[in-house]
Amino acid sequence: MRRLFTIVPAALLSFCLFAQEQTTPPAPAEPREARLPKPVEKTLPNGLRVIVVPRHETPLVAARLMVKAGGAADTKALPGLAYMTAAVLTKGTSSRSAEEIALGVEALGATLEAGAGWDSSTVDVSVMASNLAPAMAFVADVVRNATFTESELDRERQLALDELQVVLGQPRSLGSLVMARLTFGDAPYGHNLAGTPESLAAITNDALKKFHGTHYRPEKSVLVFAGDVKPEAAFSLAEKLFGSWKRGPRQPAEAVRAASKSPAPRIVVVDLPEAGQASVLIGRQGIRRTDSSYMPAMVANSVLGGGYSSRLNQEIRIRRGLSYGAGSSYEPRLSIGPFVARTDTKNESAAEVAELIVGEIRRLSKETVEGNELAARKAVLIGEFGQSLETTTGIVNRVSALALYALPLAEINRYVSGVQSVKAEQVRDFARLSLDTDRMNLVIVGDSKAFIEPLKKRFENVEVIPIDDLDLATPTLRTRLQKE
Amino acid sequence: MIVAMRLARLLVPLLLVAASLNAATSFPPMVYEHRVLENGLDVYTIQDRSTPTVAIHVWYRVGSKDDPEGRSGFAHLFEHIMFKSTKNMPAEMLDRLTEDVGGWNNATTLADATAYFEVVPSHYLETLLWAEAERMGSLNVDEASFASERDVVKEEFRFRVLAPPYGRLFYAIERDSWDVHPYRRPGIGSIEDLEAATVEDVKAFHAAFYRPDNAILVVSGDFDQEQADGWIDRYFGPLSNPEGEIPRIDAPEPVREQEKRLVEYAPNVTLPAIALTWHTPVPASDDALALQIAATILGGGDSSRLQQRLVRGEIAQDVYVSPDDRREGGLFIVFAILASERRPEEAEAAIREELAALASKAIPAGELAKAKNLILTRALRERETSNGKAYLLGESLILGRDAAFVNQSLSRIQAITGADVQRALTKYVTEGKPVVITYLDEKQRNAEAGDTE
Repeated sequence: MRRLFTIVPAALLSFCLFAQEQTTPPAPAEPREARLPKPVEKTLPNGLRVIVVPRHETPLVAARLMVKAGGAADTKALPGLAYMTAAVLTKGTSSRSAEEIALGVEALGATLEAGAGWDSSTVDVSVMASNLAPAMAFVADVVRNATFTESELDRERQLALDELQVVLGQPRSLGSLVMARLTFGDAPYGHNLAGTPESLAAITNDALKKFHGTHYRPEKSVLVFAGDVKPEAAFSLAEKLFGSWKRGPRQPAEAVRAASKSPAPRIVVVDLPEAGQASVLIGRQGIRRTDSSYMPAMVANSVLGGGYSSRLNQEIRIRRGLSYGAGSSYEPRLSIGPFVARTDTKNESAAEVAELIVGEIRRLSKETVEGNELAARKAVLIGEFGQSLETTTGIVNRVSALALYALPLAEINRYVSGVQSVKAEQVRDFARLSLDTDRMNLVIVGDSKAFIEPLKKRFENVEVIPIDDLDLATPTLRTRLQKE
Repeated sequence: MIVAMRLARLLVPLLLVAASLNAATSFPPMVYEHRVLENGLDVYTIQDRSTPTVAIHVWYRVGSKDDPEGRSGFAHLFEHIMFKSTKNMPAEMLDRLTEDVGGWNNATTLADATAYFEVVPSHYLETLLWAEAERMGSLNVDEASFASERDVVKEEFRFRVLAPPYGRLFYAIERDSWDVHPYRRPGIGSIEDLEAATVEDVKAFHAAFYRPDNAILVVSGDFDQEQADGWIDRYFGPLSNPEGEIPRIDAPEPVREQEKRLVEYAPNVTLPAIALTWHTPVPASDDALALQIAATILGGGDSSRLQQRLVRGEIAQDVYVSPDDRREGGLFIVFAILASERRPEEAEAAIREELAALASKAIPAGELAKAKNLILTRALRERETSNGKAYLLGESLILGRDAAFVNQSLSRIQAITGADVQRALTKYVTEGKPVVITYLDEKQRNAEAGDTE
């Protein structure tokens, strides 16, 4: 082993009189003030809210047109409707074909992506600042004038069906879909955002047009710019491209959707023979984005499973080498979103890691988090927040999320103090109220013969569903028996 | 959910579409300072005081190609061990000094290098320079922590290779694309080779490769130049190099004379896939840049030729064209996941037709400009953060380019003509001999075996 020399270059001797080996980490200097974005906004006469966050270091702009409706607005018969509407949106308008749109956007060096989340649908563009105006013209064209032709729908439908096949062959993605169904049952958020083989087959272009006509409207949309653009320039671009966009017909205000009742918790094993690893998930309903427990929930999660040194990763990866990574997350939504803790491990260890996850969740409601640990886990959240604001797309994500959940944009200046103010008792009380493991679902997707016996020793009422009998369309998760 | 962790980018680059640069009107140059310490440590500093964070990178010129014989995956396993204890740091202290103060750390093992990164609030710069010098200077490893971390890496192997439906295809691409050069050993290794690794191997590896004259330090972001230079001198200056030369690989890959065709089977492959790979020149060459443009014309964006032909044409579910740059010559990779009911031969024929057409018919000026614009915009995104800039600089040096390349590549790409792209594509791809891997579900192996009975 080589050793550190204790000789210091002569040039340093003047201010380093007692040159010796530094055996402890040097203390930090004074922190510098973080720079927070300063959003400015304006609402056009047709109701379109426009938000601009200038940042001029790099000649790049990210922009998003966000419609406040996503997969949660799918009709019951057609899961995947919002997803398919977004997929076909960029595939032809009254004046341009799919090829012309792709070619026009890419000739500008830009990327244009349409997609659907649970509570919103988005059209995103990232482009060098000098090409912002022509790139935004494509955004406006697809949002306002998409034609949803049969042939483009058929093509996207086939792609979605093929992608679904790939998703259903992997333990991780399959585990997420099974957990969503157990968490939300038949209610919204329970289905696959990207649809099922049956619903994809049943979606018509009329259904897409109807979804588009109802939800893609200026008064239900927000346009966000971040990057090298002046607010006045962005506002006038918005006015030019979206000013004549018509409001939708008046509709009764939508009632705030009541949270779905949590279905009874289950323990489900999906047997996928020859799976290369088992995916292990424990979850239940979590919180709304606007709940007052948002900050305690974020801090509790950071302690439990947010980041490398969280408790789950400490116990499962660092201490025992049972996984490449373990963690947990809350996904707060307009209505109550999911909480999931998960990891992936060799099939033989699946039962052991399930027990470890349960143990760590329980510990959170039993013991108060000690001061150093709490401070460290808060720092993780604050650091992630700051780093997310270093890129134009990161700023667009943060700002559009506030707009989606009707939170004041000034929240962006209060995030750090909000995290800091959470007390250890609040974390414990939140865990007691919201992280009761007896009310959680457990899902393991893997090669069940390797772990079923130890699993049954640890947990009661284990259901095993062979992959060929799995039906994600129904809360029972089982293929219905053929009626004679 | 994304779990942050020490991710080895062993396979991920294969999925990324080519990126480099193209000139436009105002592209801000990356401004850096360079010096070499007396012990040979190569030091680059890139100042940007707009955000109070700083990125610290240490790139060691040792990668998966340097795995000892019978120890594939060792450089990567070693990377994990570098987060254990040193003379003055207990295990995982690096996490305390980064994560616990609102920063993060990571590391990656490439074929040609192992890189360690931290991004922290800038007032922790001195602390992290000390920590990086600590683990350059010494590494302690005991049997228990070694065995536990080896288990983590075995799980990483399962997570990347065995569990995802196309994991074994990416593995086969690395394993089968070289005949002689150690690049043929997949960086993630194998369960057997990982099992064979010992604590003694770890000690020998640190002694051989982890030395100041085999490393590049990049500090990027918010710092005072004089202060940073002083800390670098203080903590890295005293480190010395052991006697003896740094071991270097000398196993040039011969030109492939014959096309090589293989079939790889794996469980739960719902849609078959096909991959074609060709050898490419060293990354600093104009031909390598020309091939990046070719890759963008073929696979960059929905309007690219292969997206149009294969995906719009309903032959493939998706298609990727991805140069995998390596210091001693890399790969030009095209791979497609088939649409249902389609056969790999159909995709291969269409891919070969499009390659031949690009090589033989003049490239429209607009299409060439489009590819350059896509490459430029991507380059802007890569430079948005201090960490991104540090990565570009470190990678450039590792790939045998120089630091100035990060700025010059822009004008170099701009100068490349359609004829240059065609010449490079012809030389390395359409007239080169590929490896062709067909990827099928395990059940089809049994079906075919049954046929022969």
